[in-house]
Amino acid sequence: MSEAVKKAWSDQDTRAVSEIVQQAASSALQGEIPAAMTADQADRLREALASELAGEVALDVRRAARAFFEEERRREKAAAKGRAKAGRDADMVERLSLHVRLQHMVLFSSCILLILTGLPIKFHEAAVSVFLIDIMGGPDVTRVLHRIGAVALTFIGLYHLFYCLAFEEGRKTFGQLIPKPQDAKDALHQILYFLGIKKDRPLFGRFSYVEKFDYWAVYWGMVVMITSGYILWFKDVTINQFGKFVFDIGREAHSDEALLATLAIVIWHFYNVHFNPHKFPGSLTWLNGKITLREFKEEHPLEYEEWKASQDKGSAP
Amino acid sequence: MTGPSMLRLRRILWVGLVAAAFATAAYAQEDVRCLSCHGKPGFRKTLPSGQVLELFVDPNLLRLSVHKDKHCVDCHADVSEVPHPVTPQPVNCRRCHYNGNTSGAPQLAKYLEFERSVHGKALAAGNPKAPTCQDCHGSHFILPGSDPRSRVFRANIPQVCGTCHLKIFAEYEASIHGKALAKGNPDAPVCTSCHGEHNIEKPEETTSTVNPRHVANTCAKCHDKVVIMEKYGVNAEQVATYEESFHGIANEFGVLKAANCASCHTAHDILPPSDPRSSVNPANIPKTCGKCHPGANANFANGRIHIDAKDKSAGIVYWVALGFKILTLSTLAGLFIHIGLDLYRKIRNHQKAGGAKPGAPSSEIQP
Repeated sequence: MSEAVKKAWSDQDTRAVSEIVQQAASSALQGEIPAAMTADQADRLREALASELAGEVALDVRRAARAFFEEERRREKAAAKGRAKAGRDADMVERLSLHVRLQHMVLFSSCILLILTGLPIKFHEAAVSVFLIDIMGGPDVTRVLHRIGAVALTFIGLYHLFYCLAFEEGRKTFGQLIPKPQDAKDALHQILYFLGIKKDRPLFGRFSYVEKFDYWAVYWGMVVMITSGYILWFKDVTINQFGKFVFDIGREAHSDEALLATLAIVIWHFYNVHFNPHKFPGSLTWLNGKITLREFKEEHPLEYEEWKASQDKGSAP
Repeated sequence: MTGPSMLRLRRILWVGLVAAAFATAAYAQEDVRCLSCHGKPGFRKTLPSGQVLELFVDPNLLRLSVHKDKHCVDCHADVSEVPHPVTPQPVNCRRCHYNGNTSGAPQLAKYLEFERSVHGKALAAGNPKAPTCQDCHGSHFILPGSDPRSRVFRANIPQVCGTCHLKIFAEYEASIHGKALAKGNPDAPVCTSCHGEHNIEKPEETTSTVNPRHVANTCAKCHDKVVIMEKYGVNAEQVATYEESFHGIANEFGVLKAANCASCHTAHDILPPSDPRSSVNPANIPKTCGKCHPGANANFANGRIHIDAKDKSAGIVYWVALGFKILTLSTLAGLFIHIGLDLYRKIRNHQKAGGAKPGAPSSEIQP
């Protein structure tokens, strides 16, 4: 009976449902009606029984329907997830090589260490500075940590120069990072686009003016920080050789450039790769070197075209 | 009321009166009896060691001192008969000078401070050279510190301390502080200005005012006061510039081997840099810096020591600092403008695309 009811219910055939229920009620009462009952009384009893049964059936059907739809939704979700994962993987393009990623990792690790052990010295009056120095083990420990960071930073700076000279990839990348007049035009174009004067975005190649600025800002920072840093590290030698004022210049430059570099990283670099609404809470490009096709097309359209052409050529027989 | 009871009362009254009269007379006579020996000039005793102990006391001096109403036995309380058979104990000032006393002695906690001081500790340890109250304040001719004749009057303090600390007194006398004091300068620091008075502690003690942690603060009591320093043409910024230097910051973080004021300027024989004997005279800089920076040469004097990068007196360092200031501000301004414009465009595009205004309630959440 239940199958017939379910079918009728899903067909929304209320008449069929009530007929089935009436039948069920009649058959359930067959031979059960007490003899003393008049026909009128029997009819009323039948009706009462039918409505009771109809309620039971409705509840049963509703429960079954809910289970069915829940199962359906679960299946759809899983399918969507699978599609999304497959789509993402197919959608990702590696833009930065492992060689470059490793250099970036050493660079930011040493910078974080240097900032954590250095800025508390500059802002020595702040309570948080005292706290930071204390949890790191006091000034005698942070001094050593700072110098470890300094050696790592110096190493990666020199290694990067070596990379730019000795590796094919390095030479190519370096060439792409050299500022060109087009970058100034792009910058102006971008500002006009921001202001709504131009309707379209500038078309960037492998490196936009923003990335070139980031790259060359690091050069300036490295030169100032490393030079002044070694002046301070080997203070007795520098003072004996050049005079106390050289040490003082080194100290001022080290302190001021430290703040400039930290602010530039925290405000500019973090905005571009973390807090930008399109990137939040951060892209994983630093780890896997990959970028989505959508971002690729949007942010480096010229490079994307090149890449697509080479892909097509590669896949053609 | 007559009879035996009245008689008894009278007797008691009489005895009391007579006793009181005798006691007063005896009391007044006590000083006279003491002075029958101690009032004779030249009354002295030669100890077995050959040391001559002056035992003459000028009663007029006591009458001029803060203790003018006191009698000999008020302080020399262990003398009960004349002549006294044993040498009396040293006077214990604490008989009166304790907190809560009712004899009118000043209510001060100096005694407690003294006990915690290097002198008090030495005394408690039984050091025979340790000073007691009398060594600084005098014995019979004690005057308030405000009286120029007092041993503890400001200008007299170096001599008093110098009775034991002779070598340091000689150094101090030759220093700029000592010379200023000799000229009657009321600003010139004396021993107690830096070391404290009753609470003098060894420099090794962390709470000492001359502990490496606190030297800068102690010097700053005068040296960062423009009102005082401008009188002598001394820069009142020297403390602040020290605190901003690597030496000052290291000291602040507890690296006590880092130089403090006294490391370079010395403690007692401080002289202005213009004096060729000064530790901070350019000619002596290599030697002074060389105490910590082995092999320091004349180039250590090539540049200012106390530098305030915000002041033109810093020379090239001022220009470097200014350059970086301009560079930092202009760079950050540019970056902020770029980020602001970028966000502006993103919001506009979002709105144009029909998206809800950021922050506006979404229609989906409406009830």
